[in-house]
Amino acid sequence: MVNRLLRAPTLRIASVVLTLAVATACSSGTPTSSTGAGNAAAAPTNGNLTVGLLGDIGQPPDPDIYYANNGTAIMINAYEGLVQYKNNTDTVEIAPRLAEKWEVNSEKTVYTFHLRKGVTFHDGTPFTAAAVAVAFKRRIAVKGGAAYMVDIVKSVATPDDLTAVVTLKGPNSAFLSYLASPFGPKMESPTGLKTNAGSDNAQTYLGTHDLGTGPYQLTAAQTGVKYTLTQYDKYWGAKSPFTTVNLPVYTDESALELAFDKGTVDTIVAALPSSSLDKYSKAAGATNYFLPTLQGALVTVNSSHDFFKTPEARVAFLKSIDQSALVTKVLGKRSEVATTIYAKGMVSGGADKQAITFDASALKTYVAALPGSANKKLVIGYANGNVNAQSMANIVTANLQTVGLTATAQGYDTSTVFGWINNPPTGPDAFIDGNNGPDGGDPYMWGHVFWDASGGINYFGCQSKQVNDLLNQSVKTGNTAGYVQAGDLYGKTGCFFNLSYNKDWVLAQKWLTGVAESQNIGANELDFSKLGIAK
Amino acid sequence: MLRFLIRRLAAAVVILLILSFVVFLLEHIAPGDPARAYVGANASNATVAAQRQALGLNDPFLTQFWRFLGGLLTGDLGRSLRTRQTVTADIATYLPATVQLVIAAFVIAVVLGGLFAVSGALRWPGASIGRGLLLLLATAPPFLLALLGLIVFFGRLGWLPARGDGNFEDPGPTGMQVLDTLLHGQGDAFLDALQHLVLPAAVLSIAPAVAIGRVFRSSLQGVLHVDYARTARSKGLTERRVLTHHVVRNALGPALSMAGLQLGFMFAGVVVVEQVFSWPGIGNYLAASIPVDDFPAIAGVTLVLGAIYVVSNAVVDLLQAAADPRVTVH
Repeated sequence: MVNRLLRAPTLRIASVVLTLAVATACSSGTPTSSTGAGNAAAAPTNGNLTVGLLGDIGQPPDPDIYYANNGTAIMINAYEGLVQYKNNTDTVEIAPRLAEKWEVNSEKTVYTFHLRKGVTFHDGTPFTAAAVAVAFKRRIAVKGGAAYMVDIVKSVATPDDLTAVVTLKGPNSAFLSYLASPFGPKMESPTGLKTNAGSDNAQTYLGTHDLGTGPYQLTAAQTGVKYTLTQYDKYWGAKSPFTTVNLPVYTDESALELAFDKGTVDTIVAALPSSSLDKYSKAAGATNYFLPTLQGALVTVNSSHDFFKTPEARVAFLKSIDQSALVTKVLGKRSEVATTIYAKGMVSGGADKQAITFDASALKTYVAALPGSANKKLVIGYANGNVNAQSMANIVTANLQTVGLTATAQGYDTSTVFGWINNPPTGPDAFIDGNNGPDGGDPYMWGHVFWDASGGINYFGCQSKQVNDLLNQSVKTGNTAGYVQAGDLYGKTGCFFNLSYNKDWVLAQKWLTGVAESQNIGANELDFSKLGIAK
Repeated sequence: MLRFLIRRLAAAVVILLILSFVVFLLEHIAPGDPARAYVGANASNATVAAQRQALGLNDPFLTQFWRFLGGLLTGDLGRSLRTRQTVTADIATYLPATVQLVIAAFVIAVVLGGLFAVSGALRWPGASIGRGLLLLLATAPPFLLALLGLIVFFGRLGWLPARGDGNFEDPGPTGMQVLDTLLHGQGDAFLDALQHLVLPAAVLSIAPAVAIGRVFRSSLQGVLHVDYARTARSKGLTERRVLTHHVVRNALGPALSMAGLQLGFMFAGVVVVEQVFSWPGIGNYLAASIPVDDFPAIAGVTLVLGAIYVVSNAVVDLLQAAADPRVTVH
């Protein structure tokens, strides 16, 4: 009977209908209904805040190892650096944190920090200037990705308990930006580091504990499951009403959205794709915040490929991208169209204007002039899982077809993407980043990481000695004109296009307050101590 | 029996060796860079190169493989590049949750499969609707089924939780929340763990239930009308007694074989279900390890899954022999 049923066309049709029904229900996410995001969830009365993570934090929550994105919330809430970026502004400004004030000598080689009084580490020991040298030293010893930030330090003198004089090996105007970065050196209890040193500089201990001074302590760390932060009673600063912050790990986007809609999750920071924007912009129970970052959507061109051997071809390709339409259509409210080659606010006054302007005819003319035997097949890459980058790659690909090229969009795993630098011809012809940025707000950090082949995110190794020299000179003095010139020259290579200034989309329950005030341009995360509950 | 076990053990060793070589080879020719993932995406090329050297990734392929095998012999699967813990410790952390999920799903699959088969073979009135529904659900890809379950039972009805395996803060000794809460005498936590388990286990069980059910049903139908069953009926035995004492045992062989196969498939297919339900098992662990080329973790989990598959098949062979007197193991 059942076998007959199986063979019957009605069941086959029914099974297809079921699959389609499920697919429809899933693709539309959670419906904005009376049980969904349309209703305002009640504010917690137990002091718990739940911040949903999409995917695990990816690395141990050790401030000298952590160099990824999802776990920055733990870094900036459990630990503090000497300085930070100023909250609630879209400009790059250094603000005090554990250092109340500082002086820099004119050569940019000596940085003197006057430290905050009455600060204690989570193990109860007092924070003094001695901790600065210890933290720098450990960072070097651990050899994490962001160790370069203190590699330039020659010595740390401590004339008194509340003064740290940092002398650099050479002039560096970006040092404060290094310190303000969420990946910058954080202060760790020297006593705690010593007690828990083990054989790995306390790396094992800091995988599940913290030794910081921040408003919260890391009290549970279950990789891939959840992290818990508990308010530190003796924190020197203001406290929020949230005594516990739970960070459960969701590995499915729809499940995370459902949890938010049900009020199980209180806020989601920069984790949902733009495709969910529409749904939540109409949701009465939620507030959407679009907060400034140093991130952008970027196009990197592979100059090792035949088609893009010349700057002329590369610039023509970049000009063929309708930047404004692409950014508006794909990223929507999450971004602004970039007009500068550095991130917004990095170069004062926006003097670093980007020279690429939309001109569809440029590439058409270039392609028409190519000999018949020339390769006209292009592959536009994007990172797997980045929905926005995939959409942009698809649109760019479709446009390339109209000028007589055969183009395809292809996804790559992140680890593959970073392997291209070792053999650029194995990469695609161009790569679209949906969201990428430097470690900090100094123009050097942008230029070095994206344009210098040794920087880290110059996927195809397209570089110019003149540009690198200008960057390396400018970082010594902080000379804005030098950065502008470097940007201008690199723009002419046609290897790089800054598409947008991206924002952090923070989705929060209606009752959550202080969201904008708790974020800064470099952090991409919230300082939970500044959050509150609406009266 | 001893000869059978020794042969199976030897075969398992060979299979796992081949498996580890294949995984190692695939990882070696893949274009990714584990060192980059280790130090972070924005790290400079010099930092990445230094880390690659430190991790021994510049060594020749055979040297790396030999080192891996050497570790394997001493139970050392290396250290995860992502969690920085030993892979053995990671597997010990995450495997219990997967085992709990698969056991629950397997039990549901066997029960549903049994009902599917018996109701079909004995032509229970109205049972075809249930079988049809089961078949219909089995046609949907697991991730869609899982999402549908989430939307209905968490999103709409609010009966079941969306993620995780429970909220019991003091797990141990087994690492399986359902069992641990019982052992600790925590009634509320037990119910909570059970609530977390129901939906993922049900989703994971649907397709295996149909597979087991169909094989068992066809086997039952064949045995229901053989001579000894007719003789039993003619002796005045009730249909239930004929079924339980004569038919089921003889019809169980193929169903057991299929169940063993499905158990192995469940372990392999648990990744998707664990992903949707954020289940803290080795499927999720594996899924998080693959994009960052965490080779020690990938290889470790693959070997464990391979071993489970081989062992479960051997156990099924033994069970078959125990259930069906006509079957012997050599």
